[in-house]
Amino acid sequence: MKNKKTVAAIFAAVMCAAAVIPFSACAYKDEDEGHEFTVLTVKEETVKDYNTMPVFRELAKETGKDVYWIYNTSMQYSNNSNPVGIKGVDAIYHAGFSNLQLYNYGKRGKIAAIDQYLKYMPNFSKILDERPDIKQALQSPDEHIYSLPRVEEMGLKQYPNLLFINKVWIKELIDKNDPSVSGIKAEDLKDGLKLKRSKYKGILEKFKQYHGDCVPLAFVSGNWQGNESDFIASFGVPENAEHKTIVNDKITFTVESENWFNAIKEMHEWYKAELIRSSAFTQTQDEFLARGQDGRYGSFYWWEKETVVSKNLRDDYIMLQPLVDDATGKQYVGYSNEQEIEKSECVILSACKDKAGLLRYFDKFFESYYSAQINYGSIESGAFERPKSKDDMLIPNDDHGRQSADDFRMKNAPYGVIYLGKEVWGTGVQMESRAQLRLERLETYTKNNAFSGTIKPIPNLNYTEEELDLLSRYETMLGKNINSWVVNRIIAASAPSVSDWQNNLIKANKTAMEQVKKVNQDAYDRYLDAIK
Amino acid sequence: MENCCGEAVISANIGTAQPSDNEKLIEQAYEALAGGGSENGGKVSANNGKPSKWEKWKDNFKRRGWILLFILPALVYVLIFCYAPMYGILIAFQNYHQGDSIISGDTVWVGWDNFNLFFSDPNFWNYFSNTFLLCLLGFLVGFPLPIIVALLLNSVRAKKVKKGLQILYYAPHFISLVVMVGMLKMIFGSDGLLDKIAGGNGLELFLKPEAFRPLFIFSGNWQDFGWSAIIYLAALSGVDPALHEAAKVDGASRFRRIFSVDLPAIAPTIVMLMILSIGNLMSCGYEKVILMQTDGNRVTSEIISTFVYNFGLGADGKPGLGTAAGLFNSVINVALLIIANFTSKKLANQSMW
Repeated sequence: MKNKKTVAAIFAAVMCAAAVIPFSACAYKDEDEGHEFTVLTVKEETVKDYNTMPVFRELAKETGKDVYWIYNTSMQYSNNSNPVGIKGVDAIYHAGFSNLQLYNYGKRGKIAAIDQYLKYMPNFSKILDERPDIKQALQSPDEHIYSLPRVEEMGLKQYPNLLFINKVWIKELIDKNDPSVSGIKAEDLKDGLKLKRSKYKGILEKFKQYHGDCVPLAFVSGNWQGNESDFIASFGVPENAEHKTIVNDKITFTVESENWFNAIKEMHEWYKAELIRSSAFTQTQDEFLARGQDGRYGSFYWWEKETVVSKNLRDDYIMLQPLVDDATGKQYVGYSNEQEIEKSECVILSACKDKAGLLRYFDKFFESYYSAQINYGSIESGAFERPKSKDDMLIPNDDHGRQSADDFRMKNAPYGVIYLGKEVWGTGVQMESRAQLRLERLETYTKNNAFSGTIKPIPNLNYTEEELDLLSRYETMLGKNINSWVVNRIIAASAPSVSDWQNNLIKANKTAMEQVKKVNQDAYDRYLDAIK
Repeated sequence: MENCCGEAVISANIGTAQPSDNEKLIEQAYEALAGGGSENGGKVSANNGKPSKWEKWKDNFKRRGWILLFILPALVYVLIFCYAPMYGILIAFQNYHQGDSIISGDTVWVGWDNFNLFFSDPNFWNYFSNTFLLCLLGFLVGFPLPIIVALLLNSVRAKKVKKGLQILYYAPHFISLVVMVGMLKMIFGSDGLLDKIAGGNGLELFLKPEAFRPLFIFSGNWQDFGWSAIIYLAALSGVDPALHEAAKVDGASRFRRIFSVDLPAIAPTIVMLMILSIGNLMSCGYEKVILMQTDGNRVTSEIISTFVYNFGLGADGKPGLGTAAGLFNSVINVALLIIANFTSKKLANQSMW
């Protein structure tokens, strides 16, 4: 009997322990002990270890700070519901908090108010003094600054879509004397070809006819780059992925415009004609890129063609000018709300014992010499030609052997806290040749479109606590409702009607749209005052 | 509970005790059981010399209480993983932010605000009916299917065929959810198999609101009907072969025997599982829904639990609102469970408690 009791007791004890063991806390390993600072960064496995990156070693030497980097993959990080509570961490790099999160963590004293340490940060203070727009973008409703920014002003992000077309296939049509390409000569087939939307549609129909397996027009719906916005915009509505923009200083929803509705109706027709495939609405960015490599796309919207088609097929594609609207004869382009000033790149946790010291270290990141290396990769790893002194302009090195420029950058550049403002390009750092090319194209064909002067992208706005609350309640769902309506109507059996658009989209989301508009308008008015 | 323990005591002791102890033990155990059901109801006074129910129980516990240790781990498990986290529902009544402690001096209590916000959401009825329809249809298809399969499998004569079929049926259960949805997308999605065969647009089922429920329900049942049938097969294996033989002698056909012998035999199992499934009617797992959700099918695929996911866990989320919605869902589940249990008690005289 005794024996059995003992067995039962052991059994019970073991099973109870098994139930409780998962609760034992997992803290970071001892490796980070003995370092002055431990910073948690969010990076993928393919990116090199920050502790071995030459630029961070140089920074450590220069500032005399001993910073140890630990990391989470983005998947691990997004699964952590309370990242600011991690023990033994002094700061989070690539924190990526939303406005609401920054404010809430700040208000609760979990992250440090950086504005109280400005005297230790000469570079950052200088930026804030010279650039009221950056300062106001970073401020939380309580006027504190809780995060370090990333500023990269090349003037590229407002226009994330360029339209490319397969010139070899057009050449085939010319050789066949096909009526769809009447008026286009072989020597016209170079970057900057100008087409009316109807003409373009005729060409895509022929692509479909002669290359059955092709995707006549490819894009990634709702993505930040290479989306359908500029196609819709060509009807004369300043569309972007968020469907909201600034028209003559008024926050406006594009979906309320009749031109927008006409565009959706036309997209429905294009879908029926199989010029647009359903994959445009389901694929991810990576799937889009993978499918384009073998030249299956007749035409596509993207940031640049180099990432979409494989090297040997790249010359088959040329850039088109923005499509010409048949009704007005004008070229319209939408303005993306993607920001060149990004907040929340780095936050300092309240638990950090020497905040001034750590911020002194991060302040160095804003010097263009370091910013450039953080953004593109270290000089030592071959991202730039070695300068004679730190004050020389950094010249990017385009040749990375067998690696593509993108692959090299993904592996070697940590990204994050930088300041590469407008004035830095051409003085502190030379632009990459592909960025230069893109900028030239935008200058020539895009920036002077018919909307120029009347439309502005929405800048980084500064909301009050109440406004943040309203936005979190309405904005996400509104975006989802709009996208859902759009996809449903485009793939529907019959064309959308005006009453359907008015009732099921505009009226059904009236409250949300009014609220989001009002909040943004108030914040934008304050923004205009602040940067006066 | 008392009965349960009594039986446990008996069976545990029969297995191991010496023969001489055996009879005594059984006698005592039955006495203990009988005590529970006696007319005196345990109120026996000390006057007539017999020990009261309480004293008997105490005596019993002293001698055999250690056996209760065996249920301790399960109890600890349930307490830690099912009951302890329940204090989290307090978030439904707070203006909570990630990282706050659930109860502290700074907690902002907002009463029923989160519930009001949820109920006043213009899409509330949409979420509610989507959840209800998806789960109800899933139940209507998914509940009878394993019973039918089990009955059919049970009447297969060749043992090997029966085994083979059974493995074939339950193998899909081991496919992970993500892989499963990946397979669905490869077959029914854009540029998928069907799309390719049809050659063009029109068969992208993942973008069609009306295709979401059938896809969800049939893929789910395809994956799980074999697995769910196992429990019925186990119940069927307990049917006395003599009953079948008697029925055969009476001239019952194979079909007749399924209805008159097999089905009544597993009826209690069916009722029990039905009560349990009705108790889970409003929760059909958000993971698969989230994986299958696209902008195209959001009209039918946005259910309460995806709302909880989007609003409770997103960067701009409101954990309070998410918890309130989740709690509302659970309350409905509990209500359904109670109704199902009550109804089955009245109609079939079977219940969980």
